[in-house]
Amino acid sequence: MPSNQSTLDEVVRANPDTKSRAGLPGSMPRSGLAWGLLLLFSLPFVLLLLLALGQYWRFPDVLPPTYALDALTRVLSADSALASGLLLSLLIATVVAIVSTAGGFVVARAIAGATRPDRWVTLSYLPYALPPVLLAVLIQPYFIRLHLSGSLVGVVLGLLLITIPFAALFFRSFWGEQARQYEQLSRTLGCTQVQAFRRVLLPLARPLLITCLFQTFLIAWFDFGLTNYLSVGKVQTLTVQVFIYVGEANSRLAAVASLLLLIPPVLLLWLNRKAIVRRVV
Amino acid sequence: MKQRSLLLWLYALLVVGLPLAGLFNAFLYSVGLVGPLSVGFTPRYWQQLPGETSLLTSLGFSLYVAVVSVGLAVILALVLVLRYQTTLRHWPFPTLLYVPLLFPSLVMAFYLFQLLGGSGWLARMAYQLHLIQSPAGFPELIQDGAGLGILLAQVGLAFPFFTLLFQSLYADARLDELRNLTRTLGASSWQFNRRVAAPILLRRAAPTLVLYGVAVLGAYDIPLLLGRNYPQMLSLYITTKLQRFDLTELPMGYLVGFLVTLVLMAVIYATTRWTQRHAL
Repeated sequence: MPSNQSTLDEVVRANPDTKSRAGLPGSMPRSGLAWGLLLLFSLPFVLLLLLALGQYWRFPDVLPPTYALDALTRVLSADSALASGLLLSLLIATVVAIVSTAGGFVVARAIAGATRPDRWVTLSYLPYALPPVLLAVLIQPYFIRLHLSGSLVGVVLGLLLITIPFAALFFRSFWGEQARQYEQLSRTLGCTQVQAFRRVLLPLARPLLITCLFQTFLIAWFDFGLTNYLSVGKVQTLTVQVFIYVGEANSRLAAVASLLLLIPPVLLLWLNRKAIVRRVV
Repeated sequence: MKQRSLLLWLYALLVVGLPLAGLFNAFLYSVGLVGPLSVGFTPRYWQQLPGETSLLTSLGFSLYVAVVSVGLAVILALVLVLRYQTTLRHWPFPTLLYVPLLFPSLVMAFYLFQLLGGSGWLARMAYQLHLIQSPAGFPELIQDGAGLGILLAQVGLAFPFFTLLFQSLYADARLDELRNLTRTLGASSWQFNRRVAAPILLRRAAPTLVLYGVAVLGAYDIPLLLGRNYPQMLSLYITTKLQRFDLTELPMGYLVGFLVTLVLMAVIYATTRWTQRHAL
């Protein structure tokens, strides 16, 4: 069956007009639709760049009267809040991505071997699908008692509560019959359990591990609500800084922080489109 | 084996135990058993609940935003996928549709704040075109009573995601072949879209749509920048109550947090169980 679909795709790729002749829709206003969507999706980049580069841009000017790079160069200055926010966001997102990918990989394996895996899958959805701010509201009293509130460790732990279940759900398709058979085969051929894991299963899962790393990185990178609530504004990641600058009516620095927030996802889109979409549900 | 079950119990303790303990703590707050002003068990806050008109408004507003934004995004995505199927498979669409997914919701909110505000980019253009005389003359598109800014931000983030989702489901369900079959049997394109394609896509996407709706219902970043103080969305309503200096607001804040979380957990649980039963 999938072969029928791929054959159809090949035919269409070879001759884009085939489908319209076969009575399929949408053969036309391609350029109109493309230009419309291109305009819609590129407008945020244009406006954010104008805000970041424009100086003395007041109502009713449609474009800034002068342009300067001073707001952007602040990122390079070591003592600026933007630079520290950028480093903090990178640190948090990297730690969360590594820990949750590793954790999710082994938890997914344990879930696959459990007597009622469906129940564990359902349980995993609860913290992952719950709005992050509500999760933060629930756990904050315990974090206060444990002196984790307002700390970097507290924010990382809070994010892990979302990303580890996400990663566990992400890897559940990997730990199927095929992975088990590979593991058994390598054990039969003389591998120890550790060798089978390191030399057979890890290389087999490598593409999924990389995608999961990207996606958990983005979850942590994008988060604002949970980080802001648990850190009571003390851990000033880039998203928290966007909010602070908006509150201070400093739209230039808010735009610079927003542009910085867009860099990793744009790079990921360039490297691998699948890394952007969360394919869990 | 023992190691595996130990790991699972640790996992359960962390990812489910902690939120459930938080839920229990919120319940204790709501009946006056814990908290800085605790005076022992009291049903007072539960009894006050029906009289909290701002809560009911907040609940109604959140439901309205979730239903309207997910509904509009679904309609847009369905139109794109069913009407422009061939077009969407060609450059630049497969990449273009990923672009809005690069935006954190807070950045999307900030962008719309700068675009649609009274002195925003659109207002400046309207002024230069002599359509308005001052920022006050520009229609309220953000921080308005109808939540237009919030809706626009949510739809802007959701419809490309739904389009990619439907596009992938369209290929999985081999709808092109079904389309040819129905055409052979005499159905029009509209009949195929309405009676075959849309129901199949919506049924397969239902769990994702419900979970997305839950996320919108509990959205925080977007309404924080683009919403008003009244009506507030639920997450903002709860956090505002919990972060006020007035400690007497805490039990009611936790009570609402407890109830909302319980309902959302029930929805998430039912959705995932339904997905598993129907192997979607």
